[in-house]
Amino acid sequence: MVRPVRKIVVVGGGTAGWLTAAVIAAKHRSRIPGQFSVTLVESPNTPTIGVGEGTWPTLRSTLSRIGVSETEFFRQCDVAFKQGARFARWTTGAPDDGYYHPLMYPQNFSQLNLAPHWLVQNNGRSFCDAVSPQGRLCDEGLAPKTIATAEYDAVANYAYHLNAGKFATFMQKHCSEKLGVKHILADVRRANVTEDGDIKSLDTEQAGEIEGDLFVDCTGFKALLIGETLGVPFKGCHDVLFCDTALATQVPYESETSPLATHTISTAQSAGWIWDIGLPTRRGVGYVYSSRHISADDAERELRAYLGPRGKDLPLRKIPIRAGCREMFWKRNCVAVGLSAGFLEPLESSAIVLIEISAKFIAEQMPACREVMDIIASRYNEATHYRWGRIVDFLKLHYVLTQRQDTAFWRDNCDPATIPERLQNLLLLWRYQSPWFHDEFDRIEEVFPAASYQYVLYGMGFRTEVDPSSLAGQEKSAERAMRENLMQTERMRTALPRHRDLIRKIVEHGLQPV
Amino acid sequence: MPRYEPLNPQQHGSLRLRPRSNPDPHFVQIVASEFPFAAASSPVVFTKDPEKGSFYAGAVLGFKPTEAALKTRAERGGFEPLNLQREGFFISGENIIIDRDSPRFSESEGEPLFDESQQPSVSLRQMQRLLGQLHAGLEATNAFINVLVELKLIEPLNVSLAFDDGEKLTLQGLYTVSLDALHALDDSSTLRLFRAGHLQLAYLMAGSLHQIRTLAQLRNDRLSRAV
Repeated sequence: MVRPVRKIVVVGGGTAGWLTAAVIAAKHRSRIPGQFSVTLVESPNTPTIGVGEGTWPTLRSTLSRIGVSETEFFRQCDVAFKQGARFARWTTGAPDDGYYHPLMYPQNFSQLNLAPHWLVQNNGRSFCDAVSPQGRLCDEGLAPKTIATAEYDAVANYAYHLNAGKFATFMQKHCSEKLGVKHILADVRRANVTEDGDIKSLDTEQAGEIEGDLFVDCTGFKALLIGETLGVPFKGCHDVLFCDTALATQVPYESETSPLATHTISTAQSAGWIWDIGLPTRRGVGYVYSSRHISADDAERELRAYLGPRGKDLPLRKIPIRAGCREMFWKRNCVAVGLSAGFLEPLESSAIVLIEISAKFIAEQMPACREVMDIIASRYNEATHYRWGRIVDFLKLHYVLTQRQDTAFWRDNCDPATIPERLQNLLLLWRYQSPWFHDEFDRIEEVFPAASYQYVLYGMGFRTEVDPSSLAGQEKSAERAMRENLMQTERMRTALPRHRDLIRKIVEHGLQPV
Repeated sequence: MPRYEPLNPQQHGSLRLRPRSNPDPHFVQIVASEFPFAAASSPVVFTKDPEKGSFYAGAVLGFKPTEAALKTRAERGGFEPLNLQREGFFISGENIIIDRDSPRFSESEGEPLFDESQQPSVSLRQMQRLLGQLHAGLEATNAFINVLVELKLIEPLNVSLAFDDGEKLTLQGLYTVSLDALHALDDSSTLRLFRAGHLQLAYLMAGSLHQIRTLAQLRNDRLSRAV
């Protein structure tokens, strides 16, 4: 007799827990209420971590799919638009050193690779400005859409910066009211395991025993089910990504009309980098550093220097971070999503996008019965390991392209012994051809597309050798695409409102759903 | 620059009202009570207020902002939108505001606004009625739009037109009532729309889209005659 999978139990009520519960419940909406159920068990006492305020444009389709109104999301979660990231002082460390990794693809990206054309032109225009309007939009603090653009539609591609604490509350309400997710406030005392090693149920302080067919571990760093119960080991990657501590704070604006950045600002320091994320209500700022390369006191001094006089007395929160992931993400009838699965420094906002991709996989591939679960689990593990490795490579790419020699942190980062083999091979390959469509980023859901690699490589001064004769026949289309980019840039600059003005309008009038 | 003044007999006792002289624009806002008249000659659609992003209803009289209306008032069966008739006059709360610089106002030509005893003249009383209709009509139209938004019945309208001179025009930023969504409504919502008179407005809008082809044909004929 087959054992159908019908009771999904999500443990943990942070961003990971609520997003995963929402995505699963929305996908299986027609089976709820019925035999299928999604239950989220959350401790009434554990505070959520609440960093990770940057997202990826996938969140737009995720929110739309689960039926959230973008207007309400803006009103309730202190949301701002994010159009990319600016990396300052990563290449040479000079005060004017900086480049954008925008969210729009280069012009005509699916038809034509503009990178080699830009490389031979060498006309002084940055790669980003040559192929995309978005760096200019960020420079000028312009919004990626207008009040007349429908919810989730974009004029320029965008993601969000958000208040993660408010987002979890918002999602909880949406899950309970619209998606039929059962919410249980209870502390999990222990998980009961069957003879063959599956999780049978949870013993809770306040709600007795909770049974389930599939358990999703969203318990954060604690990793209650995947780690403590099932004993899946954690595999660190400190040898590749050195940062192991974060020093975080929140900075108020001078006034309600202070400019609001529409991109994440990431500024390299002597032993790590500082994130600066603008929400409409405050800025979130923090220093992610390697404690092997700098003392806590010196790190604090660097952070306070970045904050300027306004940051003199701001309280700082120190968060130890462990870069790495589980050796296995889905074991038996338990799958880990979010920090329980692993953690990487928030350099490219990969945390929430990974949650979305994982939740979508689980929802789409929901095993019909226990008998087929291991097949799905093994696929899931393979795909998730692949993504994890790709993200590590991509983050490391930011470090290995540096020309900085000023501290051991930067010198150590360029030591080949710390660079994953796949990345080393790619770096060799990219000296002779630029990453593009038919490169090896061939999964249906790549976390970072080839375009992202282009922006970082050429933003950081990497050179790919180009034989001009290999471009023969394409120059005209390349020229046209770059000209179109300039015209599009001008059109957008005149049409788009200021970032803060649009957010004020969204809160006041709302965006239309169409 | 417009010069707005609250209308009053002390200041405007000698002012006279001339007929409208501006050409009809390519698009004009209309209110629900005008839908039956507008729909007989022009496409009735929604578009968004660029400041607030909210929908309002309007009649398409032409296809390009730079071109005047394709049909004359007579060709529209006499339909003259309230919003055009009121040219020069505005409402602010209880008061009527005029744009003193509008070409409709003159000291020498046209009908007087006030009589000798400083009472509103026949033509001003007519304008007052018209502004009242417009005001009430806007409220009724907003109620209609709010219901459509709530029931998710509005959809973008995609129209591409090709003309004999080779020009292709895409009408952007226009919306209409989705008949598919309307026909998928449950009975209680349908009844609610019907009782409020909204069902008829929805069908008037949907039916009026045939006028797009008529207008396009008209424009095309003029182009070929112009050559």
